[in-house]
Amino acid sequence: MRKRLGILFWIAVLWIVLVVFLAIFRDSLPIADPVARLARSGECERFERPSWSRWFGCDNAGRDIFARSVEGARPALVLGVVVTGIAGTIGTLVGVISGYIRGLFDTVMTTIVDISLAFPALVLLIAVSVAFEPSLRVFVIVFSILGIPGYARIVRGATFALAEREFVDASESMGATRARIVRRELLPNVALPVLSFAFIGFALVIIAEGGLAFLNLSLDGITWGKEISEGRHFIVDHPHVSLIPSTVMFLTILAFNLVGDGLRSLVAPREVATARRLHIEGTPEPRSEGDDAVLRIVDLSTKLHTPGGLVEPVDQVSLSLAPGEALGIVGESGSGKTMILRSIVGAFPLADVTRAGTVEVDGVDMLRSADTVSRRTLGTNIGMVSQNPLTALNPVRRVGDQVIEPMIVHGDLSRADARERALELLQQVGIPAAERCLREYPHQLSGGMRQRVTIAIALANEPKLLLADEPTSALDVTVQDQILRLLDGLRRERGMGMVLVTHDLAVVKGFTDNVAIVYAGQVVEYGPTAEIFANPQHRYTVALMNSMPDLNLPSHSELTTIEGAPPSLIDPPSGCRFAERCPAVQDKCRTDDPVRAGTDVHSYSCWFPMSEHPVEVS
Amino acid sequence: MAFLRRLGRLVLVVFVVTFFTFYILDRIPGDPAERLAGVSATPEGIEELREELGLSGSLPERYGSWVGDIVRGDLGDSLIYDGISAWDRIRGALPKTLETLVLAELMAFGLAVPLAIRSAQRPGGLVDRWSSATAFGLLALPSFVLGIYLMFLFAVILGWFPVLSKDLPGFTDDPVGNLKGYFLPSLTLALNLLAVYVRLLRTDLIETLQQDYVMLAQARGLSTRRVMWRHVLRPSSLNTVTAAGLNVGGLIGGAFIVEVLFAYQGMGRVFIESIIGKDYFVVASMVTIIAVGYVMINFLVDILYSVLDPRIRRLSA
Ligand code: SF4
Repeated sequence: MRKRLGILFWIAVLWIVLVVFLAIFRDSLPIADPVARLARSGECERFERPSWSRWFGCDNAGRDIFARSVEGARPALVLGVVVTGIAGTIGTLVGVISGYIRGLFDTVMTTIVDISLAFPALVLLIAVSVAFEPSLRVFVIVFSILGIPGYARIVRGATFALAEREFVDASESMGATRARIVRRELLPNVALPVLSFAFIGFALVIIAEGGLAFLNLSLDGITWGKEISEGRHFIVDHPHVSLIPSTVMFLTILAFNLVGDGLRSLVAPREVATARRLHIEGTPEPRSEGDDAVLRIVDLSTKLHTPGGLVEPVDQVSLSLAPGEALGIVGESGSGKTMILRSIVGAFPLADVTRAGTVEVDGVDMLRSADTVSRRTLGTNIGMVSQNPLTALNPVRRVGDQVIEPMIVHGDLSRADARERALELLQQVGIPAAERCLREYPHQLSGGMRQRVTIAIALANEPKLLLADEPTSALDVTVQDQILRLLDGLRRERGMGMVLVTHDLAVVKGFTDNVAIVYAGQVVEYGPTAEIFANPQHRYTVALMNSMPDLNLPSHSELTTIEGAPPSLIDPPSGCRFAERCPAVQDKCRTDDPVRAGTDVHSYSCWFPMSEHPVEVS
Repeated sequence: MAFLRRLGRLVLVVFVVTFFTFYILDRIPGDPAERLAGVSATPEGIEELREELGLSGSLPERYGSWVGDIVRGDLGDSLIYDGISAWDRIRGALPKTLETLVLAELMAFGLAVPLAIRSAQRPGGLVDRWSSATAFGLLALPSFVLGIYLMFLFAVILGWFPVLSKDLPGFTDDPVGNLKGYFLPSLTLALNLLAVYVRLLRTDLIETLQQDYVMLAQARGLSTRRVMWRHVLRPSSLNTVTAAGLNVGGLIGGAFIVEVLFAYQGMGRVFIESIIGKDYFVVASMVTIIAVGYVMINFLVDILYSVLDPRIRRLSA
C-alpha cells in the first residue's frame, strides 16, 4: 500500500495532520495571540520580516502572521469537516438511490445536478452571504447544498458500474431486499470513491470560503482569505504579508487534493501510457544483383516493450514480392500477421517498438532512411487498406478531403486537379455518384462504400505496393467478394504488388500467387500458393487445410477449428511454437527450434514435415 | 422545435434566477428609499420616493412591474447613484469583464492545445510529466492565491505589468496599455482553465492516436505535425469544448475575484457594491445578463459541437 501511494501522498497526509494539530491545540502551544498588536508592546515591528524568532513575521498592525495562519485554519477546517460530512452523507444517499433505482428519480436528479454543477456558485454565494448575516450555520447550509451534487454524481456513477456486476444480481435472486443490498453491498463499495472525493470536496470548501473571505463577505474573525485580502494592499513593499497566508492555503489545498488523488488511484489505477518510440537495430542486408523485388523483407523482427513484458509479434520474418505479384499472409488472430504490415510502414499505436532486420520497398530502406525519404515512399509507393472500414476513415473530415490529401501532400497536384483525379479514382473503385460522395462524411456511407473509399485513397498516388490487412473481414459476405475482385482487378491493371493479410484460406487460394503461413510471429511455411495447397509440409498448414471442409467453397470463417490456442507472444516457449497443438509432436520439437527446410521456392520450418512422414508420427 | 425548447428553457432560467434575486434582495437589511431620502425626510416623503422608484407593493408586484419595464427595454434606475440608470452602471463594467474572459479563454486554449499535443505525443515524457504536475498544482490554486503570486512575480519583481489594473485605456485608444493591464487578471483565470483543458485534451488525444485512421494517416507518409493538427485534434476536442462551456460559471466567479484583486471596476465589483447597497434594479439586471450570457454560451457550445463532429449534425437535424 505504502509503495503504491507514493511519498507525496504521505507528505500531504503529514501536512494535513500538522495543520489540524496546530489548529486544535493552538491554545496550549506557545503561539502568540493572533489579534494582539505586538508593535505597541515593541515585541514585533509592523511588517517585520520572517525570522528565526518570528517564523512568518508580522503584518501591517504588527500582528504575528504565524499565529494568524494557525487561527485561520480553524474556520477552514471546521467548515470543511462539517460540510463534507453533511454533503457527503446526503449526496451519497441520493447517488446510491439514483444509481440503483434509476427511472424517473434518476432523470430528475441528473437534471438538477447538471444545472447546479454548472451555475456560477460564487454569484449565488455572494448573494446569500449578503442576504443572510454570514454565520457558520448559514455557511454550512449553503456549502452543503452546493456540495451535494458533486457527491451524488460520483456515487451514482460508482453504483451504476456496481449494479451491473454479478453479485448484486446474485443476492437479488437470493431474495435480499433492495434496502439490504444498498446497505450491505453497495455502500461499502462506493466508500472508497466517496472518501477520495471527500478530500477533494474538502479542498473545494476551503477555496469557496476563501473566495468569499477575499471579497470580505465571509465569517467574522480571522480566515485565510481575509488575511490574503488585507495583505494584498502591501504586496509591493511587504509581500510576505499576503504571500505567506497564500502559500499556507495553497499547500493545504494541494495536500487535500493529493490525498484524494492518491485514494482514487487505489480504485482506478493511474494509466500507464508509454511514449511512442521507434528504435531500429541490426544492419541492413544488401540486396543481390538483379533483384527487382518491390518488397523485400529479410529477418525482420519487431519487439514491443509493453508494461506486461516484451512482446515479439514478428520474429525473423523474411518475405519477398516481385512487381505485380500477390502475396498472401495467413494466420490466426494474434499471430502477428497485421504487425508485419505495420512494421513495413512503421505505424504503431502508442508503444515502444524496436525493429531489426531489413525492409525495402522499391529499393528504399524503410527502417533506416531519412524521415523525408521514407515518408515520400510511404506516400507515393505504398497504399494501405485496413481491416475495418468503419474506423479507417476520419469521422470528422469529408471524404473528398481525405482522398485528395495524399495527392496534394506528395503528388504536388493543385486542389482542383486533385479533385478531378479523386473523382476518377472513386469511379474506378466502383462508387456511383462519386461527385456527391466527395462531399459526404464517412458516416453517411455504407461499410462497403467506405472500404472502396479507403482503397481509392490507397491508390491515389499510383503505388507500386498495396498492403491490404484483412480488407473484407468486417464486411457483409455479399460485399466481401466484390471488394476482393476489385482489389484483384486493380492489381492486374496497374501491375501493383499486393500483400493480402487474411485468416481465410479460400481468399488466399483465389487471389494470391504466393503465400506465407504465420504462426506465433514466425513464418512457418512459405511458397507458391498452388504448390502449398497441393503439397503442404508444416503440420500447422496441414491442420489449417484440414479445418476447411471444402476449399472450393468460400468459407470465410475464423480459423478456430484447430484445438487449443496459440502460445503467448510474451516469452514464447522454446522449440517449435506449434508443439502444444501439433498431432505429430515429438520430444525433439519441444527442445530444438525447427530449422528452415525445403527449397528456395517452397520452404518450411518443421522437424517432421508431411512429405517425409505422411502418416502421423506417433 | 429544438430551438424553441431551448428558448423556453432560457426564459425559464432567467425568470427563476431573477425572481430569486428579488427575494434575496428583499431580505437584505436596510431600506434604499430611506437612505436616498436622507435623514431629514418625512415618512410621507419616503413613501412617495418609494412609489417613484418602483419599490412599493409586495414582492411579486415589484417583480412584475420590473419585468414589464425590462420588456420595454428599461432596466430601471440605480438606487445608490442619483440619476444613473442600471444600464449606465452595467455599460461601464461589462466590457471590462468580457475582455478579461475572452482573453482568458484565448490564453487558455492557446497554451493548452500545443501542450496537450506535445504531452500526447510522448506520454510519460518530459513535457507530459511537467505539464500534468503543473496542472495538478494549478488546480490547487484558488484564483485569488494564484493572482497574488502572478502579481508578485510579474508586476512587483519583474515589473512587466502594472500591479493594479485601474483606469485602463480603452482598447482602441491604446491597445498595448490596455492589454498589459488585462494581462495578469486574464492569465490568472487562464491558468486555472488551462489545467482543466490540458488534462482532458491530452486524454482524448491519446485515445484518438490509437485509432485506425490515425495509423493509416501515418502510413500515408504525412508528417507528424499534419497528422496531429489535421487528423487527431478535431475528433479529440469535443470533451474539452464541453468543459469550456461548463466552466463558464466558475469563470464568472473567478472574474469577480480578479477584479477585486486587480482593482478594476468590472461586473463583479459593481455587483458586490450594488448588492450591499441593495441596488435592486442594477443587481437584477446584472443577474439577468449573466444568466442570459451563460445560457447563450452553452448554446454556442452546442453549435460548435455539431460543427466539430458531423455525426452529431445528423442526429440533431
Ligand atoms: S516441428 Fe514438430 S511440433 Fe512443430 S509442427 Fe513440426 S512436427 Fe509439429
